[in-house]
Amino acid sequence: MSIADLKSGQKATITDISSESIPLKLLEMGCLPGNAVEVIKIAKIKDPLYLNINDTFLAIRLETAKDILVKLIDQ
Amino acid sequence: MRQINVALVGNPNTGKTSVFNSLTGLNQKVGNYPGITVEKKEGVTKLSRVLKAHIIDLPGTYSLNASSLDENIVIELLLNKNDKDYPNVVVVVSDIENLKRNLLLFTQIKDLGLPTILAINMADRMDRKGISLDIPKLEEQLKTKIALISSRKNTGFDKLKNLIANYKQLSTEACCNASRVDPEYFGNLKKTFPDQNTYKLWLVITQDANFGNLDRNQIKSKTKSFEPKSQSELKRLQQKEIIARYTFINDTLKQTLTKDINAAKGLRASLDRLLMHRIWGYLIFAVILLLIFQVIYDWAAYPMDLIDESFASFSEWTKNTLPAGQFTNLIAEGIIPGIGGIVIFIPQIAFLFLFISILEESGYMSRVVFLTDKIMKKFGLSGKSIVPLVSGTACAIPAVMASRNIENWKERLITILVIPFTTCSARLPVYLIIIALVIPDKSFLGVFNYQGLVLLLLYFIGFGMAVFSAWLLHKVMKTSQKTYFVVEMPNYKVPLPKNVLITVVDKTKSFVFGAGKIILAISIILWVLASYGPNDKFKNAEDIVNTEVKTENLDLTQEELDTKISSYKLRHSYIGYMGKGIEPVVQPLGYDWKIGIAVISSFAAREVFVGTLATIYSVGSENEETIKKRMSKEVNPVFGGKLFNLASGISLLLFYAFAMQCMSTLAVVKRETNTWKWPIFQLVFMTGFAYIVSLIAYQLLK
Amino acid sequence: MSIQEILVWLTFIAAIGFLVKKFFFKKKTKKACGQDDCGC
Repeated sequence: MSIADLKSGQKATITDISSESIPLKLLEMGCLPGNAVEVIKIAKIKDPLYLNINDTFLAIRLETAKDILVKLIDQ
Repeated sequence: MRQINVALVGNPNTGKTSVFNSLTGLNQKVGNYPGITVEKKEGVTKLSRVLKAHIIDLPGTYSLNASSLDENIVIELLLNKNDKDYPNVVVVVSDIENLKRNLLLFTQIKDLGLPTILAINMADRMDRKGISLDIPKLEEQLKTKIALISSRKNTGFDKLKNLIANYKQLSTEACCNASRVDPEYFGNLKKTFPDQNTYKLWLVITQDANFGNLDRNQIKSKTKSFEPKSQSELKRLQQKEIIARYTFINDTLKQTLTKDINAAKGLRASLDRLLMHRIWGYLIFAVILLLIFQVIYDWAAYPMDLIDESFASFSEWTKNTLPAGQFTNLIAEGIIPGIGGIVIFIPQIAFLFLFISILEESGYMSRVVFLTDKIMKKFGLSGKSIVPLVSGTACAIPAVMASRNIENWKERLITILVIPFTTCSARLPVYLIIIALVIPDKSFLGVFNYQGLVLLLLYFIGFGMAVFSAWLLHKVMKTSQKTYFVVEMPNYKVPLPKNVLITVVDKTKSFVFGAGKIILAISIILWVLASYGPNDKFKNAEDIVNTEVKTENLDLTQEELDTKISSYKLRHSYIGYMGKGIEPVVQPLGYDWKIGIAVISSFAAREVFVGTLATIYSVGSENEETIKKRMSKEVNPVFGGKLFNLASGISLLLFYAFAMQCMSTLAVVKRETNTWKWPIFQLVFMTGFAYIVSLIAYQLLK
Repeated sequence: MSIQEILVWLTFIAAIGFLVKKFFFKKKTKKACGQDDCGC
């Protein structure tokens, strides 16, 4: 599954980044395999996605989110 | 006194500029880097009795892998030992909550072997955020010295200055060596260039620019001997480097930083819930915009009236006091009204920047980016286009440059192309004076002033046109590149009054001294062109008019006679002939030749319009009058009646709303797109469109 | 020509000179750009 499949409030761990052309900037902001990601629960806007990745709050578009694969953390 | 160079670097939104302001106070200047339009902020601070620090506030960057012109500046300075600003010591500024991310940049700079200090800002908030930090251990791991500072409470700066002064004692050893991602490759680099810093070589190889005396191709040709890397291999290595750095950083912070998660949330979550709400969020944004424009209109009116009247009486005083002659006339009728035409906009520009900088500083602008991305995407723009489009209401030039952080080239190009439609502050004076002349000063529902509403409407028209043409361009232009959008949501902050003040002063100053000089020069030229004529008709104006009056047996008062003479003179001056030449073109839009001249001179800069009319109308006028009064007295030469009526007024407003009339913007667009194709397209499309719309409006309303 | 007239023309020439310098003799721009296809 990818970040795009997460429901708001869910936490997951990034497992892989499937696209070669993902911008370096996203990696620099902490979007790396092994780091935690949470979809912030606010309003009902689904695109762009409001995320907390590795303690950085950022927003990315749904189409980019599809390229970032994750594994759900059991709660 | 000895002086050392200090470079401030850090992520965007980390309060780096606040730290810079605290260190230098008002002892700073803003310029440009040579040849490019990236803002360069530098200042001086005293470290001790014998030592001064020359501080450069470098553009915010997330890493040394440049993806924009602004970020290139950082790398260029840090790599080029021959640069006169090459730092003796680097201060990496981070705020306490984004420490992890800022450490990425920190470890990269450490790898360059530069003495580096870590300044952790907002240290006063650590308790409230439930964060505690083991400083000695962190210093040991990062091989550096740390200063805990707070630009809000103004604490910790003595320690920071002390560390800067003693920079020679700092370790220059790397704390997380990039070589570990590919020891063989980096080892070969070291062997080929034994006297160069390996990480520096690596940065030169992976970036697109050449830095100082290090030539990329030269390095490439030498590295071919051992193992050439393809573009995608290099990119993968860059990714590996980032992962390696983050692994080091996460390990380090695990040992030194503890965070009580429960204390951390709160304000951010509740404000986000409101400001990013799918209904309330948009409503609040609309209300904020409405308030800003009402305030600009209402508050700025008082100082503006005062300025207008003071300049009128100053001009009168000059004329009566200085010895009579042409140069005195130039001062009283050309230069003073010209300067008045600049000074009068200061209140509005200051107010506009006051609000824009508050929105940026508070962290609210990023929420607007978030809210608008989905809508903007449909028009081929990005949520990030909202920042250029909003700052375009100040001036298109910084706005075009602000589009640099849009990742996707097509979205960026469209943004650049449509920015000039947004209502920049140079249009404001034109709008204000015409609105004051043709729109009644009455209230609607007792609250909203009609004039204020028309002004707001003009802003919406400009914005709407920008979005509409973006959509057109989006449909026409094709691209295969995938679109990306990454935007950080910074924490909410109460803007620091000092930062806001400095921004307002900076921007106002750059208007007064940038555009101001052009306006003044044009005022002088226009005055001369209006005060001299090519033939005897101008020189003998008095005799000609007097004879005419006598032969036709007209019964005129002295005042009427004077007016007749001065308008005869004006018509036969250089500018009069030029104006007559273009009159056929502007007449269908409801303008006379004087407005025509003002419109033409507006192509140097729109705000010249009011100054031009002020100069043209005050030539030969004896009475002390404000520009507005003179304009409202003008009579249409063809149809009679007031020249500035609803039809011609609306036509002018629309022309200024749509026409591309700013040489400086064209120059910046050329620079940012690196071709004349796009600025010429803007000029032709926008001005042509403006002419047609104004023509229709005037013909319908007259 | 009176002193005043001379001053007028001097100011006029200075103004023209300033505008010509401003718009026609721009400093050369430097080419530097990011890694993306930004058209440069």
